[in-house]
Amino acid sequence: MADTQTASARGPADAGPGGPRAAKRKGLSERTLAKVFVSPSILLMALVALFPVIWAVVISLYAYSRRQQVGFGGLDNYITALTDGRFWDAVWFTFVFTVTSVTFEFLIGMGFALIMNQAFRGRGVTRAAILIPWVIPTVIAAQMWFFMFNVTPGFINNLLGLGNFNWLGQPGWPIFAVVFADVWKTAPFVALLLLAGLQTIPGDVYESARVDNASMFQRFFYITLPLLKPAILVALLFRTVDALRVYDLPAVMTGGAFGTESLAILVREFVVRTPNPGYGAALSTLTFILVLGIGMIFVTLLGRDLVIGTEEER
Amino acid sequence: MSGTTPAPVEAVSKRRERAKNGGQGVVERRSQLQIWGKSALLAIILLWCLFPFFWLIMTSFKKGDLALNSPNLFQGPFGFQNYEAVFSLNFHLNLRNSFIVAGTTTVICIIVGSLAGYAIARLPMKRKVLLLSGILAVSLFPPVALVPPLYELWLRLGLLNTWEGLYIPYTAFTLPLTIFILVTFYASIPKDLEEAARVDGATPFQAFYRVILPLAAPGVFAAAIIIFVQAWNEFLLANTFAPRNPEIAQTVPVAIAAFTGAVPFQRPIGTITAACVIVTIPMIIVALVFQKRIVAGLTAGSVKG
Repeated sequence: MADTQTASARGPADAGPGGPRAAKRKGLSERTLAKVFVSPSILLMALVALFPVIWAVVISLYAYSRRQQVGFGGLDNYITALTDGRFWDAVWFTFVFTVTSVTFEFLIGMGFALIMNQAFRGRGVTRAAILIPWVIPTVIAAQMWFFMFNVTPGFINNLLGLGNFNWLGQPGWPIFAVVFADVWKTAPFVALLLLAGLQTIPGDVYESARVDNASMFQRFFYITLPLLKPAILVALLFRTVDALRVYDLPAVMTGGAFGTESLAILVREFVVRTPNPGYGAALSTLTFILVLGIGMIFVTLLGRDLVIGTEEER
Repeated sequence: MSGTTPAPVEAVSKRRERAKNGGQGVVERRSQLQIWGKSALLAIILLWCLFPFFWLIMTSFKKGDLALNSPNLFQGPFGFQNYEAVFSLNFHLNLRNSFIVAGTTTVICIIVGSLAGYAIARLPMKRKVLLLSGILAVSLFPPVALVPPLYELWLRLGLLNTWEGLYIPYTAFTLPLTIFILVTFYASIPKDLEEAARVDGATPFQAFYRVILPLAAPGVFAAAIIIFVQAWNEFLLANTFAPRNPEIAQTVPVAIAAFTGAVPFQRPIGTITAACVIVTIPMIIVALVFQKRIVAGLTAGSVKG
């Protein structure tokens, strides 16, 4: 910090409102300071997130036997993965889970947000309560709903009068339980994001629509939805990307049985249970491409506002 | 005045009434009814969010086999048996591990992230858009993509079953969110303050450290809670890199998922629900106490970021 930075007076005049004067001062100039401040973050993310992903691509090109590298395999691991029914089953489950859970979370979250935006009494309490499903670990939500759906003690069966219906132990139904638990946990979070968006819509817009005799549905479809679009897209982006990574719920509720093996569970199988680093890395790379690709589609849909949005406030 | 359709008139007068609080019979009663109707809808949300916890607490206090056999929530006898069982399984050590891992993640993220957030929000920088896009891309990374390579790496470096093996990747994953939240908070602090400091002869670093950082404290605190919660709840990496041994590094979610009971192939419902309650109650209190901060942080991190 004791460097004499006066030499860097060539800092462009557009260097913020500090202006050219700033660069002549003692201490680090603003530009240097910016680099110093940003570099630890970049370094950390590059070393622990970017580097492993690239290294996974390298590992995935090698053949392994019992965790020992036995030679270069080229794209063999990828070919094995893409021709394996288990991989496609996991893709299918992850896809169905994502579409159904995000759809219901969005619809219920939107309903909750609209209610909370209208009500006067009890709003504070509800806003606090709505955080609770978000704040608890997904594993706890998974265990909780596992026991509620499970035949013993049979709370849900008792409630619905279903006798000994086996929600979690027969094909077809476990995915319903898993989606239900996810919707329960994250619909309030979606509501929170949408509520924040709703509160940015000025009240007079509705007032003048009422004067123009717009019905409730017209107001919703022609005013609320278009003005809420950025908040909706961001909520959908975060939820979709999160749902594609799903691991906790099916891992705890079913262990991946009965067609509820997600991509994350599948990858982990080849790292821990039947170790094959090459194949596991190939699967993780495919998952990575899939998730990041879908995320990027959303980001381009959102346009630059998502990235620039924060900056415009300057 | 009386020629128009009733709807807008009612709406306008309802507004006025709320403001002046002196209205006439029908309209007032109607809006009162509406207010209560809307509040009743709120009750649905409350039930949705809270009822499962009621079930959880009631179940955790049931004695012996009762939790497994009786769907009736109010059927006793109740007792603390399950809670004693949880701590005999070293659950306090799991709590310790989670506190250390989540706490370290929070400290590192806040230190590293608040610097970057300030630089992005306030300092002149080339390729800012590129940088923000890169950070956004990292926030979209599926953590499972790290599982195979980091497992191999941790195996070689001896970081499996250690606290470090967990909080290092957590930090990298939570940094993007931290930066987005903090950028928003820094951007909302008036710029004049820094300029005043600079005029008084402070270096850019002093302006940040002495003037802006103290003002950003509420935002930093909001970010800290959110980071802590996320690190505390993480399961995939924790379950892969430290799946066993509460004495070493097994965290709370992994323990809750892994409890095994006396009966093979049957999950010990009493122990699990009791452990869930132990973890949930403090988190509910945190959520209630810091409600406003958390909401501000979450919306700053996503709606704007």
